[in-house]
Amino acid sequence: MTQLTTIDDIYSVVHPAVAEALGLDDDEVTPDATLMDELGAESIDLLDILFRIERSTGIKIQAADLSEYVQGGIPDEEFGDENEIITEKGLTQLKKVMPQLDVEALSGELKAEQVMGHFTVQNLMTLVAARAAASA
Amino acid sequence: MELEGRVALVTGGSRGIGRATALRLAAEGAAVGVNYRNDEKAAQEVVREIQDGGVSAIALQGDVSDYEQAEGVVAKTIAELGGLHVLVNNAGIAKDALIFNMEPADWLKVMSVNFGGVFNGTKAVLPHFMSQRDGVIVNMSSMMGERGWTGESNYAASKGAINAFTRCSAVELARFGIRVNAVLPGFVPTDLVSELLEKDGGKSIKKQVPLRGFASADDVAEAVFFLAAARSGFITGTLLPIDGGVGAQLGLGRTNW
Repeated sequence: MTQLTTIDDIYSVVHPAVAEALGLDDDEVTPDATLMDELGAESIDLLDILFRIERSTGIKIQAADLSEYVQGGIPDEEFGDENEIITEKGLTQLKKVMPQLDVEALSGELKAEQVMGHFTVQNLMTLVAARAAASA
Repeated sequence: MELEGRVALVTGGSRGIGRATALRLAAEGAAVGVNYRNDEKAAQEVVREIQDGGVSAIALQGDVSDYEQAEGVVAKTIAELGGLHVLVNNAGIAKDALIFNMEPADWLKVMSVNFGGVFNGTKAVLPHFMSQRDGVIVNMSSMMGERGWTGESNYAASKGAINAFTRCSAVELARFGIRVNAVLPGFVPTDLVSELLEKDGGKSIKKQVPLRGFASADDVAEAVFFLAAARSGFITGTLLPIDGGVGAQLGLGRTNW
């Protein structure tokens, strides 16, 4: 199993997992690329990616963990308003796990169902790094 | 010994085709979990026979029509035999009746054991199979799932469901390194179909079979072994009849030739 001590280690695990699961060339998978919107991942692809990461590292991340991680334990009714628009509290949380987000531009615009569409390869690497550190 | 180092779980493995399959896989070196619902003695005999051949085996009680029990059987196999690579979803029952006389409970029961058992077994092994990116599932279907027969509508529907599920799960799970196939016996003289053979020893059925006879449980086990082994490594989503040609035949009586 690959030991995950540096960012390079994590990249060396996450990058091929994403490329192989999605059938993409290595250079198509960049850290900034969003998994679902840009690379075209469907839920079965995410499952595939997570199982590939588990196989090479032993780190188990459930598909349901992804959205939980993104939402940071904030209850649905506080994360989005009655029209499913992400609240300011929700946006503050999103900025923590997806620092690339321009939360000012997204304020009052971002719908709950669109959130995962912004999740990038880099964001996944950050999650894997956090889990690796927690299990070390 | 093509299955050395592999672990197999056969549901409904104490009798009939399940028993023959457990013994066949063990003969190729696979450690075998022999699942049974009621007949512990028969399951223990299968286990002993396998162990006498120098291969590991355990008997596992559990009703696979109940998801939690199926999960328990899978977990125990992995814990006690050190892994799991081959799942044979074999457990099945029949409650034959004319539709006119059939109680709603009778189709539901047959469906929940035959198809429910396949669904539950499949779902229960997925975390393990997907994680190791390696696994083979063989579902025990029947030619009844592809053709019609009076008095077997519930059984046939459950097998038809297994056939559809086999194709879908093969497609869905291929990317995780999991192959899924089904074998479709015609008539096999086991306890399950004994009523059908009561009248004339099966003579009237036998003469309608192009190969003039019935498959034995061993014939079916041989096909399961083939689909479980690496030699069929590029085969998935297949429904393999073991029916002596019945399904290929246009059943309109005797030819003039």
